Amino acid sequence: MLGPELINEARVECRAEIVSKKRLIETLAGLLAGEHPRLQTETVFERLLERERLGSTGLGHGIALPHARVKEVTEVLGAFVQTAKGVDYDAADGEPVDLAFALLVPEAANEEHLHLLAHLASLFSDPRVRAKLREAESAVEILKALNTP
Amino acid sequence: MKIIILGAGQVGASVAESLVSEANEINVIDTDIQRLRQLQDRLDLRTVVGNAALPSVLRQAGAEDTDLLIAVTQSDQTNLCACRTAETLFKIPTKIARLRSADYSQHPELLDTRNFAVDFSICPEQIVTDYLLKLIEFPEALQVLEFAEGLVSLVAVRAIEGGPLVGHRVSDLRRHMPNIDVRITAIYRRDQPITPEGETLIQVGDEVFFLAATHDIRQVMSELRQRDRPTRRLMIAGGGNIGSRLASVAQDRYRVKVIEVDEARAKALGSTLERVLVLQGDATDETLLAAENIDDMDFFLALTNDDENNIMASLLAKSLGARRVLALINRRAYADLLQADRIDIAISPAQVSIGSLLAHVRRGDVAAVHSLRRGAAEALEFVVHGDASTSKVIGRRIDALALPKGASIGAIVRGISRDTPGARLGLGQVVIAHHETIIEPEDHVILFLASKELVPKVERLFQVGLAFF
Repeated sequence: MLGPELINEARVECRAEIVSKKRLIETLAGLLAGEHPRLQTETVFERLLERERLGSTGLGHGIALPHARVKEVTEVLGAFVQTAKGVDYDAADGEPVDLAFALLVPEAANEEHLHLLAHLASLFSDPRVRAKLREAESAVEILKALNTP
Repeated sequence: MKIIILGAGQVGASVAESLVSEANEINVIDTDIQRLRQLQDRLDLRTVVGNAALPSVLRQAGAEDTDLLIAVTQSDQTNLCACRTAETLFKIPTKIARLRSADYSQHPELLDTRNFAVDFSICPEQIVTDYLLKLIEFPEALQVLEFAEGLVSLVAVRAIEGGPLVGHRVSDLRRHMPNIDVRITAIYRRDQPITPEGETLIQVGDEVFFLAATHDIRQVMSELRQRDRPTRRLMIAGGGNIGSRLASVAQDRYRVKVIEVDEARAKALGSTLERVLVLQGDATDETLLAAENIDDMDFFLALTNDDENNIMASLLAKSLGARRVLALINRRAYADLLQADRIDIAISPAQVSIGSLLAHVRRGDVAAVHSLRRGAAEALEFVVHGDASTSKVIGRRIDALALPKGASIGAIVRGISRDTPGARLGLGQVVIAHHETIIEPEDHVILFLASKELVPKVERLFQVGLAFF
C-alpha cells in the first residue's frame, strides 16, 4: 500500500502531453515541489537530472523510476506521470517511456528507501499493473492501479 | 539526446557531424540559409533560420524539449545571450558556450546561473593552441593528450627504423623500464587497429599509443624512440587567432618567427609579440622561406585559415629542409591524404576540440573525452560511483569486467576530489591498469576504444544501477 503522504491525487498527472525526457522530468519536479514549503521545482529538476546522468532510471517496458536524495525532505515523496505518448528515455531496453514514478528521499536514505524502490520495480514488472496504469483515465484510477494488491 | 547547435560555421558543422550518427536529435540554428542547406544535404538533422539568441527562434527549434544547447556562433555575445535565454525561458539543463575572448574567463562569476548561465565554456582556438604546444614540447610525439587534470597522458608515437621499439614484443617494455609503469593501449598498423597482446611484435611504421603518468612520459618516450633533438626554432605561417596565440605562449621558451601575409596584421603582431620576429610575406614563397633559414627550423607550423595554403607551405618547408612540419587542415579528406606521407602531422582543428564537447554528450559521469584517429576511435575518462551492488565495475578485477572487444582500460586515477578543485594537484594517485587491479568507488577510469561504435556498450557498463541514490 502506497500511503497518501507518499503519493496522492495532487501529485499524479494523467494523459500528459509530453514529448521529451526533459519535459517529463520537469513535470515530475513540478508535481513534487508543488505545495511543499521547502522544495523548488528548479532544485528538484536539477537533482533528478544529476542522478539521471549517472545512469538512466528507465526500467524497461515503458517504465521509469527517476529518484534523488534531497536535504529539504524528511519523508519520502512520490509523484506519478502517465504520458499520452511514450518519450525517448534511454531506457535499458530502448523502449519509450510513458509511465514514470519519481521519488525524493531524505539525505540519510536508508534500507527502507531501497525496499520501496524494489517494491515499485516489482510492481511495475507485472504486465497487468502496467496495463491498468495505461488504461487509467484519471488520477484516482492511477492511484487505484498503483495500489493493486 | 535532443541537442540544439547554434552556428553552422566550422565548429558547429563538425560538432553536428560528429553527433548526428549517435542517435541524437539535432537542430541547427544559423542566420545563413545557404550554410544550413549544405549541412542538411549531408546530414540527417533539422535546421532553423534565424538569430540564435531570439526566444522565438529557440522555441521553433524545440528548446522546451532540449537537453543540451551548444552555442558556437562566431559571436561571444550571441552565445552568452542564447544561454541566458535558454535558462530563463526553456530550462535547458546543460548549456555550453564558445567564448573566444579571454576577458570572460577572468570573470567566472559572469557565467554562473544568476548571470549568463553558461555551464561550460569552450574556446576551440585555445584547445588547438595547447595541443600544438605539447607537440612542440615532445618532438617525438604525433599526439599528446591529457586525462585526470593532467595527471595521465596518452601519447602516440611512430615506431621508426632503428628505434628501440621495433622488433620487440609489447611485453619487453616492462623489462626495458622496470621502474616505470606504462601501458601500450593500442597499435595502428597501416591504419588498421591491432589489439596489443604481450606477444605482439612492434614493426616499423606502427603508430603506438601508450598511457603513463604525465611525469613519466618524457622518460618513456626516450626509451621508445631515441630522443629527437629538442625543439629550439619555430616558424609559424599565419598570424591569425591560433598562430598569434601560439607565438605569444611559445616566445618565452623558443625562438619564434611568424610569417603573416596581411601587412597591417603583421605590424600589429610585431608590436605586441616582443620576442617574436614577425615577417610580412607569403608562406608559400620559397625565396622568403629560404631567406629565413627554413632549413634551420626544428618545427614549421602552417596555421593560416586556408587549407590549400597550409598544405603547400608545409610541403615546401619540408622540401626546403625544415625538420618537422605540421599543417592545420579543416577538410578531413585532405588531412587523411596527407599525414604520414610528406607532411609529418596534419591536424584538423575541429577534431582536436570536439572531445571537450563530447564529454557532455556521453552518458554517465564522463570527465574527459579525446577523439582519436579522426573520430574513428575514442579515449574516455569515466568517474565511477556507487558500490559493488549498484555498479557493474566497482569491486571487480579489471580482467573480470564485461568489456566489449576493442575496449581496454589503460589507467586509473585514484583520490581526485572534485569538491575541492583547488586541492587536487598532486593528490591523485596514478595506477596503470593490470589484470588484477580492482576498481574502487570514485576512481577515474581511462579507457581506449578502438571504435566509436563501442561507446554505448561501455557507457552502459559504467552507469550506476537503479538502486543508486
